[in-house]
Amino acid sequence: MNFSRTKLLYKLIRKNQKLAVRRHPMLDQNKAMKIFIYIMAAFWAAYLMFFGIMFGSIDFGAFENFDMIDGGMIWFLVLDFYLRFTMQETPAQEIKPYKLLPIKQNFLLNVFLIRLGLRGYNLFWFFFLLPFGILAIVKFYGLLGLLGWLFGWWLLFVFNSYWYLIFRTLNQRSWLYLLIPTAVYAAVIYFGMFHDSGNQWLFDGCVQLGRAFCMWNWWSYLCIFAVIVVLFFINQRMQRACVYREIAQVEHVEKVKSTEMSFLNRFGIIGEFMKLEIKSTMRNKVVRKQFLTGAICTLVFCLLFAFTDVYDDMTFMRTYICVYCFACLGTITLTNVMCMEGNYIDFLMSRKESVLQLLKAKYYFNCLMLLFPLLFSIAPIVEGKILFIEALGCMFFTSGAIFPFLFQLAVYNNQTLQLNAQITKSGRSTKHQMIFSLAALLVPMLIMYILIVVFNVEVASWVMLVIGLLGTGLSHVWLRNIYHRFMIHRYDNMAGFRDSLNHD
Amino acid sequence: MELTLDNVKKTFGEKVALDVDTYVIHDGEIVGLVGNNGAGKTTMFRVILDLIKPDEGVARIGGVATAHSEEWKAVTGAYVDSGFLIDYLTPEEYFDFVAKVNGVSKEDLDARLLKFEHFMNGEVVGNNTLIRNLSAGNKQKVGIIGAMLHNPQLLLLDEPFNFLDPSSQHAMKYLLESYNRETGATIIVSSHNLTHTFDICTRVTLLEHGKIIKDCDKDYPNLTEEIEAYFIHNS
Repeated sequence: MNFSRTKLLYKLIRKNQKLAVRRHPMLDQNKAMKIFIYIMAAFWAAYLMFFGIMFGSIDFGAFENFDMIDGGMIWFLVLDFYLRFTMQETPAQEIKPYKLLPIKQNFLLNVFLIRLGLRGYNLFWFFFLLPFGILAIVKFYGLLGLLGWLFGWWLLFVFNSYWYLIFRTLNQRSWLYLLIPTAVYAAVIYFGMFHDSGNQWLFDGCVQLGRAFCMWNWWSYLCIFAVIVVLFFINQRMQRACVYREIAQVEHVEKVKSTEMSFLNRFGIIGEFMKLEIKSTMRNKVVRKQFLTGAICTLVFCLLFAFTDVYDDMTFMRTYICVYCFACLGTITLTNVMCMEGNYIDFLMSRKESVLQLLKAKYYFNCLMLLFPLLFSIAPIVEGKILFIEALGCMFFTSGAIFPFLFQLAVYNNQTLQLNAQITKSGRSTKHQMIFSLAALLVPMLIMYILIVVFNVEVASWVMLVIGLLGTGLSHVWLRNIYHRFMIHRYDNMAGFRDSLNHD
Repeated sequence: MELTLDNVKKTFGEKVALDVDTYVIHDGEIVGLVGNNGAGKTTMFRVILDLIKPDEGVARIGGVATAHSEEWKAVTGAYVDSGFLIDYLTPEEYFDFVAKVNGVSKEDLDARLLKFEHFMNGEVVGNNTLIRNLSAGNKQKVGIIGAMLHNPQLLLLDEPFNFLDPSSQHAMKYLLESYNRETGATIIVSSHNLTHTFDICTRVTLLEHGKIIKDCDKDYPNLTEEIEAYFIHNS
């Protein structure tokens, strides 16, 4: 293969990879998500810069600032390693569309692996390292020393990306392979830093390596580069084997046992939709994860509240926990109301008032779920940390005020949630959803807090209870109102659901 | 069940997807919609089913404007694409759900499913498999059966022969003919398969760029030759 063709193919693949990111359906359809990702990235960058400046200015006493950071090199690498799981795919997955093109597979693999090493993410930590280095290194080693130090750190992150790729690939066979790097890191950190307090060879070694970078010690770079080359070839062999596995991958067919759930039959059609809700939670990866996240949050907060004294003296936190215990599960699941149903919206729309029955079923299901936090709150009630009326007030306020508020999203949500995609790829969080979920958690807490400050806990709880009972009692009225408004918006919503639906 | 389209127009940007002055389908007819890709067949179905809003005009089922009332939904069955399937259910659960929301009793459901036994060919039910894990052909069968379970007076099927193996295509033809004969229902199918369309339909409508350019009964002289000639000249 001649050089100009190699260069052309490299450029083409690079262009395609960039387009794949830019035109990802989740980002293409969802401007709010795109802005949110940019804001989060900017936030993290600013956060890292802040720490860089802070660590660059602190006085560490016996140690120079850069020795402290270099000495803690392993912690950066560990953090970087695990963060990569949220964003880095394997080349074997990316190579599939090119498989039948007249390009040698080894060349493709090499291009993808080199791109992996050169990708911008490996410079992400520079938001921390650069301001830190300017403050801490330039005064000792000059600008050239800073460049050498940064180059050395960059090589370390490239090393980390290939080290990560080995386990990312093995992880596709079994998650147990992840125990290997975890054990390696744990052993290195333990024996290198904690086992013998008089001999912190890991810390000392890393300090020496950092200083070697600053002095442009070629051996230090060569050693890391040699390890990178070894990892590159290990990855190349592994990926070559994986390409065939990826292509010949047979989709796992789940066998399910139908459950009758006959206790819901008495609720007629709404009961049928409630069964649908339960099955959706049990059988769809994204819905299940959402539900579990909410349930675990609820449980953790209840347990913290019941069995520790961390929040006992803080009225604000006590209010927060009490409201949050009841509202968090509903907020997590109802923020996506109708987004799951976007997958079969045509089915719903071709049957009379199906959407109304569905909304009712969702409401009753979420109300039933409130019994769990009520159950969990028995412990803090018995312990005397909250009043029974307080728990009851929060529960009914959730069903009668927070839920009606969140259900309004049924009118505005028009992005289909891919039920079995990875969470990061499922396509979530529009501008409306973000605002509604924040408001659902913060506003009730503020209302209750103000009522407690102005009156007392008992009055606040009674006010919440009365508002909640009114809203719960009038659920059929506001649900029908939401349904009517949904029907007014239906064409736009259906178009949005269809556009964001992944038919694969 | 009579179906009427009055002055219906739908555009997507510059592209005219549907432009029909007046189109009436009478009670008990089996109508075949034919046309190349982009002719407007699916758009017509979606307008009829109130799944997209026409720029102008109105679709009526049994005299009821589909955009202004939901009463027509009880007498209409449709399968256009996988958006009509709840894919995390098994076919049995899906049929059961469809039956219940349409007020069909368990006994009636079992009796009706027996009629589809040959069509299902032992591949659809009894496998404890979710719809999303079925083959494209079997998903199509689930959708078609789901559309017919409540014995609708109007049945709309978009490309029902797609993905089906030859045996299932024949079973499908038999199913539609016998359903029309037994219930007197109006059936509209769109298809790229001219042979199947001519075999079962009592009327054929040819669409091009959203407009109806030919609409005649099956006994119209040389209909098959004319339509085939159209597709040959437009290839």
